Amino acid sequence: MKHLAVAVSLLFLFGLFAAPVLAADAFDLVIPLPLTGKPAKFGEIMKRSYEIAAEEINAKGGVKGRKIALSFEDSTGKPEIARSIVEKLIDTKKQPIIVGEYTSSCAKAVAAIAEERKTPYLVVASADDDITQKNYKYVFRQNQVNAHYGDAVVSFLKEVVKPKTIAILYESSAFGTSGADAMEKDAAPMGAKVVVKEKFETGAIDFKPLLSKVKAAQPDVVYTVAYANEAQLIMKQAKELRIDMKLYAGGAAGFAIPEFIKGAQDAAEYVVSATLWTPQLKYPGAREFADKYKAKHGDYPSYHGASAYAALYVAADALNRAKDWTADAIRDALKATNLKTAYGPVKFEDKEGYQNQNFHETLAIQVQKGEFETIWPKSHASKPYVYPVPSWKDRK
Amino acid sequence: MSSIQLEVLLQTLISGILLGGLYALIGIGMTIIMGVMKIINLAHGELMMVAMYIAYVLFSAFHIDPYLSILVAAPALFLLGVAIQKFLINPVLRVEAIIPENQVILTVGIGMVLANLATIIFQSDYRQTPVPYATKAWYLRDYWKDSPVDISLSLPWTVSFTVALLITAGLWFFLTRTDTGKSIRATAQDLDAAQLMGVNVQRMRVITFGIGSALVGTAGCLFIPIYYIYPDIGGQFTLISFVITILGGLGSTVGAIIGGLILGIFESLTATYIGMGWAPVGRFMIFVAVLIFIPGGVASLLRSRKLGK
Repeated sequence: MKHLAVAVSLLFLFGLFAAPVLAADAFDLVIPLPLTGKPAKFGEIMKRSYEIAAEEINAKGGVKGRKIALSFEDSTGKPEIARSIVEKLIDTKKQPIIVGEYTSSCAKAVAAIAEERKTPYLVVASADDDITQKNYKYVFRQNQVNAHYGDAVVSFLKEVVKPKTIAILYESSAFGTSGADAMEKDAAPMGAKVVVKEKFETGAIDFKPLLSKVKAAQPDVVYTVAYANEAQLIMKQAKELRIDMKLYAGGAAGFAIPEFIKGAQDAAEYVVSATLWTPQLKYPGAREFADKYKAKHGDYPSYHGASAYAALYVAADALNRAKDWTADAIRDALKATNLKTAYGPVKFEDKEGYQNQNFHETLAIQVQKGEFETIWPKSHASKPYVYPVPSWKDRK
Repeated sequence: MSSIQLEVLLQTLISGILLGGLYALIGIGMTIIMGVMKIINLAHGELMMVAMYIAYVLFSAFHIDPYLSILVAAPALFLLGVAIQKFLINPVLRVEAIIPENQVILTVGIGMVLANLATIIFQSDYRQTPVPYATKAWYLRDYWKDSPVDISLSLPWTVSFTVALLITAGLWFFLTRTDTGKSIRATAQDLDAAQLMGVNVQRMRVITFGIGSALVGTAGCLFIPIYYIYPDIGGQFTLISFVITILGGLGSTVGAIIGGLILGIFESLTATYIGMGWAPVGRFMIFVAVLIFIPGGVASLLRSRKLGK
């Protein structure tokens, strides 16, 4: 018994001494993201991807000889919580760079704080346009802006579908509203008239009245911007009502994750969606990352995962190149980033009124036989697109 | 009115009626608990969430159809309700508290505990039971080729609606024709008189809470094929059943059905003709209007008609 007590106290003492030694050696990087609450699904994909990236970077020697010790803080998708996490990271932990967050509203809150405290912040998967329109000097965005999310879908519509009329459905969030506004602007040059533009609340159960209204307006195309579950509910109920369109299109997020196909099943077939990345892309490391993720977690990652995976590489690259880890040195290093990642080339530019923005090529995917296939632009296509789409009645 | 407009109107009404039937089933459990115990069970939606997770687990582990899992979830929820009443609410009813209606506050706490337990066990992922018939529907044009309008009737929604009606009928039979049911109604009408007549009031309360929970548990199983679950789903349904309870009249089963249908149809019409974002606003406008103009709900209107004649 006595021996045991001694052993325990020795262990405890050892633990006390060992901890600071380890901490000095490793580079602690805390990533804020939503692990509970509504956007938790996306947070989880990103967390797993950060972990894969950290493992690889550490195997290659880490950053400036220090291993990355990753940990995560749950912001639950609420801006005030994200804000307080990041305040703590900057003020008490003195973390030299902030990476993370998912929802646009959280990223906005974090960006404001990072700018105020002069700490570089790498925005990973948040799309709301104005995050990089505020002349922030310390905020960098690897993700494409919402105004360009639909680019590939818009070019697909313009060149293949040539719609005369379009209906836009969107959820009443920062992401949904800016996505819908972007599509409305893109409709006119396409020669399409917006006949219905309707928003809905997240958590709504019955979309049939809304869809009946769309049916009455008889548009050529329906474009929907929604997070995870509304996307599949809308497609299921559209099938129930047999609302035939030339094309159903979605603006990434809920339309571009595996859960969409799992939930909507056959109703997901032929739906075209914007996305920022697919495992089928020929970027260096894209396939390897996707396979590694699938082997570990059973599913291919969505673009959220690839973006997170690449973001850690971008951050590590900047930290390696920075002459020291002061805010300005890291900022300058980030600004000079020119990296080919699994997510695509990353370079931060000032143009079109955006600052430190990576203009990433967007893609269009289509659900074919229960799988996402890249269909547009043609240079990236994994399968030819299916158009025209068969009517609901003719599908069996 | 062109045929397409007629079609939209009819389809909206059908959606509203089906949605209303589901709302009614969710609300009915709350209304009978409210009638007997005079307390609002604010953990009502969370009880529904528990049943949905039971159905989810049965489906993902044993491939049991969510409709069949009613046979497991309803008794389980009955026991859960009985336990809550017996070991949590009854002791609180007995103590003198500084805050009025402390049992109501207790139910809020129970709801939070349930929601957080679910978060710990299942994470906050969205879960669903992808049943093969999820998007199956019947179409008028398949049966009547030259129909001027095409109306569709979704299979899972229709099943849920039908079961909701059957259960309500069964409940009505139970309350009016059986001994226990009559005792429950007596307790609801006049607690002291019922006690004097030899009704075991404590027992009736426990049974009522159990039945109320089992009903909302059934609603959860009927709901999961058309929706999805996550731990915080309860709140929105507590709110809906609260509105239905007020609209229908406290403790009235028939009132709850009419209340649910009114709410469902009203929401659908709002979504079609005004905008989907307005549906929640409409819901609370009804709520406030009922409180001001018909404080007894639909049930009081029905009663005054009968007495008037």
